[in-house]
Amino acid sequence: MRINGRIGALVAALAVTGVAAGAAAGAHRADPGITKTSIKIGGTFPLTGVASLYKTIPAAEKAYYDYVNAHGGVNGRKIDFEILDDAYDPSKTVPLVQQLVEKDKVFAVVGSLGTAPGLATWGYLNSKKVPQVLLATGDSYWGFCVKKACAGSPKPWTSGWQPDYPGEGKVYGRYIAANMPNAKIGVLYQNDAYGKNYYAGLRVGLGAKKENIVDAESYDVTNPSLTQQILALKSKGADVFVVFATPSPTITALVTAAKVGWSPTTIINNVSANRLFLLAAAANGANVDGVISTTYVASPTTQPDLPGMKLAKQIIDQYAPSLASSFAQGDTNIVYGLGVAWTFVHALQKAGRNPTRASLMEALHSLNTSKNPCVYPGIKLQTSENDNYPIEQEIMIRWSGGARGDWHPFGKLLSGVR
Amino acid sequence: MATVETRPARLRRDLPQWLRALVRPVPLGLAAACVFLVVGSLLSNDFAQQTVAGLAQGTIFGSLALALVLIYRATEVINFAQGEMAMATTYVAYQLISWGLSYWEAFFATLVVAFVFGVVVQVVFIRPVQHTSVIAVVIVTVGLFILIDGLVTWKWGADLKFMPAPFGKTVYHVGGVAFAQQDLGTLLVSVLSVLLLWALFRFTKLGLAMRAAALRPASARLVGVRVDRMLAIGWGFAAVLGAVAGLMAEPAQYVLQPSLMQPILLYAFAAAVLGGLESPAGAVVGGIALGVFLNLVGQYVGFVTSELRLPFAFAVLLVVLLVKPAGLFGRARVRRV
Amino acid sequence: MKPSAVGLATTVVAGAVLALLPFALSSYHQGLAAQVGVYFIAILGLNILTGYSGQISIGHGAFMAIGGYTTAIMSRDHRTNLILTMLMALAICFVLGLVVGLPALRLSGVYLALATFALAVSVPQLPLKFSTFLGGSNGVQSAETVTHRWLYGASWTAAAILFVLAWLLLRGRTGRAFRAIRDSEIAATSSGVRLPIYKTLAFGVSAAYAGVAGSLYVLGTNGFAQPNEFGVLLSLQILVGAAVAGLGSLWGVLAGAAFVGLLPTISKDVPLVGSAHGQDVVFGLIVVLVMLLLPQGFAGFLARLARLRAARPASDRP
Repeated sequence: MRINGRIGALVAALAVTGVAAGAAAGAHRADPGITKTSIKIGGTFPLTGVASLYKTIPAAEKAYYDYVNAHGGVNGRKIDFEILDDAYDPSKTVPLVQQLVEKDKVFAVVGSLGTAPGLATWGYLNSKKVPQVLLATGDSYWGFCVKKACAGSPKPWTSGWQPDYPGEGKVYGRYIAANMPNAKIGVLYQNDAYGKNYYAGLRVGLGAKKENIVDAESYDVTNPSLTQQILALKSKGADVFVVFATPSPTITALVTAAKVGWSPTTIINNVSANRLFLLAAAANGANVDGVISTTYVASPTTQPDLPGMKLAKQIIDQYAPSLASSFAQGDTNIVYGLGVAWTFVHALQKAGRNPTRASLMEALHSLNTSKNPCVYPGIKLQTSENDNYPIEQEIMIRWSGGARGDWHPFGKLLSGVR
Repeated sequence: MATVETRPARLRRDLPQWLRALVRPVPLGLAAACVFLVVGSLLSNDFAQQTVAGLAQGTIFGSLALALVLIYRATEVINFAQGEMAMATTYVAYQLISWGLSYWEAFFATLVVAFVFGVVVQVVFIRPVQHTSVIAVVIVTVGLFILIDGLVTWKWGADLKFMPAPFGKTVYHVGGVAFAQQDLGTLLVSVLSVLLLWALFRFTKLGLAMRAAALRPASARLVGVRVDRMLAIGWGFAAVLGAVAGLMAEPAQYVLQPSLMQPILLYAFAAAVLGGLESPAGAVVGGIALGVFLNLVGQYVGFVTSELRLPFAFAVLLVVLLVKPAGLFGRARVRRV
Repeated sequence: MKPSAVGLATTVVAGAVLALLPFALSSYHQGLAAQVGVYFIAILGLNILTGYSGQISIGHGAFMAIGGYTTAIMSRDHRTNLILTMLMALAICFVLGLVVGLPALRLSGVYLALATFALAVSVPQLPLKFSTFLGGSNGVQSAETVTHRWLYGASWTAAAILFVLAWLLLRGRTGRAFRAIRDSEIAATSSGVRLPIYKTLAFGVSAAYAGVAGSLYVLGTNGFAQPNEFGVLLSLQILVGAAVAGLGSLWGVLAGAAFVGLLPTISKDVPLVGSAHGQDVVFGLIVVLVMLLLPQGFAGFLARLARLRAARPASDRP
């Protein structure tokens, strides 16, 4: 009896240990997309269609992951990044994301581009507890819906990366109010949420000076020409011209303004401030000197000696040589992509030796690093329980040098950009 | 191919007499519009500027609309792929320039390539189905739209490309109105190409043969016209016109991307139908009228904001069609029973 | 269209297969099958308009948009039951279809096609203009979302019901009137067919079908309605589906729906050009090839097969 009892207790103890060990091991195996040697992620991007000029972003991200994989991966796991094309159409994004989750069983959806595609899928991804992170859009939703109910419920599994559009608009508003308090302001904005968010931010930043807005014209993506809107702004006497547009219409706006003999102080948004676009505008006769914008990433052309930019050049030359020539000319979308990928890898490392989806989200909600090699020097990626905006700092830049010039930062690094 | 249609079914009450009288003298109406534009331009700089800008844009619509009309006249088909074909030939020009040709060398070389491209498309894709049904041909053109877009994006990528500006960036200021050399150049090129085409149709044997093949294919065959060949050549010329439209559209947008012609195609459809699908002059006039009208409405009518610009163009079109079901210059054909 | 024994048997078998299919398919594939159902309904509607009454329309994306937005908005603002929103979409689009059908009476052929195209282009712009009510570019999110299985059930049940309704409509007096109009408007009028009534009716019915399809389409997009989902390409795709189906036959519609619903997804996986662009190249190429080979669509192909079989000499028959 006594022997049996002891054996019984031993067996019971072993059993309990075994079950606990099994449960622990099972908990590590619980999340799909992650094995001992690999981690599978995916994202949807507009590789075709109207927004396809951003496709350098996922290409740069992939280059970074390839670089990391060549150096052993993250804790021995290689990152397998699947890039899918949704052509900016939410009805395509949804089945693609469902494919990523249900068929390809990804660990996380990383870096997807577009507000509408994000909004179409965030309910699904949050209900399935799949991370939807580092979204490539400046919408504010990704920041304040972690605890707050948006579209019916909080979205704790969703997060962004870049400073949000209204915040950027506020920067311009404050700048104008402080430096050009009596200016007559004319605004051109895209007629969707993208443009309207910037415009709303501008008005907030202007404060009392928003009475100085003499005219605000919108344009539709199906308008090939902006002459009518620019003529209207010019005829109202505006001497500050704020353009909240995507790259191609921004170029058109800059050139058209010059064509009709209008030389206001021009401010353009960061998305369209890629050096390549300004060069194109200049080549077509736009007056680019003095154009103002903001940035939060480093520049391959004015800051090539930064260790981050040297590393970026190395990575692009080796893993994405097709992007090398754009990079050399200052394509900051590439720097953006590398910066996002770095952040993911950093968060993955922070998530522990055996990351889970929950630990990844925890890592992303507790960022605190100045080591991102691709952001403008001095910018810190920081998130906490009540702040889910990783980057909230920007610096103002001004173009000089004409048709062969570049952006040059001025002023201090601005913080709390929201 | 007897090209007649039924008169459309009428509502129980026909149009009031006074309305019909007003609409009949279409050329008179256009003349009145021109007078209005000139007077308005003289009175207001803004009006003048919007009109000038609208003219330039309108000629691009008109060129593409003309290509659509050419094909419709010959084959009774709306070529949905016209815009994409124009875009593809513009990329060919881009490629030639990046291989070292000067802009104008590339321009003319592209026109030749476009001609061949149009002929090949007709022979390979359209001819096999052209005698089956209209819907089948339309679907083939839709498939070509998707195919060509995919091929161009695959070969050249969808990022923004930049081409040299054919007419430079000089701007002339006359009495407070800015005239860009680019726009003047576009106007010149478009008008020239339309005139050349008209001369071709009117004064050459080839043109006569093509017209015969389009209007009375059976009789044309009897007098020795190779109808199938004429149709292919017709597509070739339409592709050339499309190429001109594309090459003029690119500098107007300052960048080259695969979606170059997509908005223009929509306005070109409206312009072509507005002018009457059988009328080349109608297409050009329709395009210019649309370009100018939209600019003026955008400037002076507050409700028509940017989102409604394209719908408004079609709304105008629909109103015109209701009053003149065959377009401004079209003739309502009656079916003989 | 007489209900032959073979036809009836086929229908019963097809129905059984459809009812049992979800148990054999993974959730992801159920979603795909539901998509096919959505296109089935839309193409069915277009077939009634174009195939049976001879009026070409390239504007059905617009009615799908209206139906889809109805569902999203009613669900978001009033928490209306989703099936009820589908019925509302049906009713609203039926009325709007009649409204569109009236001025369409004055147009014919390509002019009608382009006028409907105008609709396809213009309707998606409306949510941008009236963004406070219609969500603008951030779209409208319904209050409820549905599982793949629900969607499958709803799409194919609706498809079955609408198919039967179409069949009943077309085999009766209305169908005869439609076919008469398609074949010869003048002869139809001389036989006493009141053109305005039947032509607008065709528009109304066809738009109603597109509205239901639109509701299901939005539900398939997680209940999210947004302008980019209803671009011109959608209307063109439905037209392609109708052409592949073969106009004037209800059976080909399934082939057309499968073609348009599944081909883009399959094209993605073809390792032809090694990137996302392959999808467009493959899809475009296949559309062109199918039209070149089967200009009368699938229905025409079936008809040709039937004729071949009938033409075979007796000794060859099994």
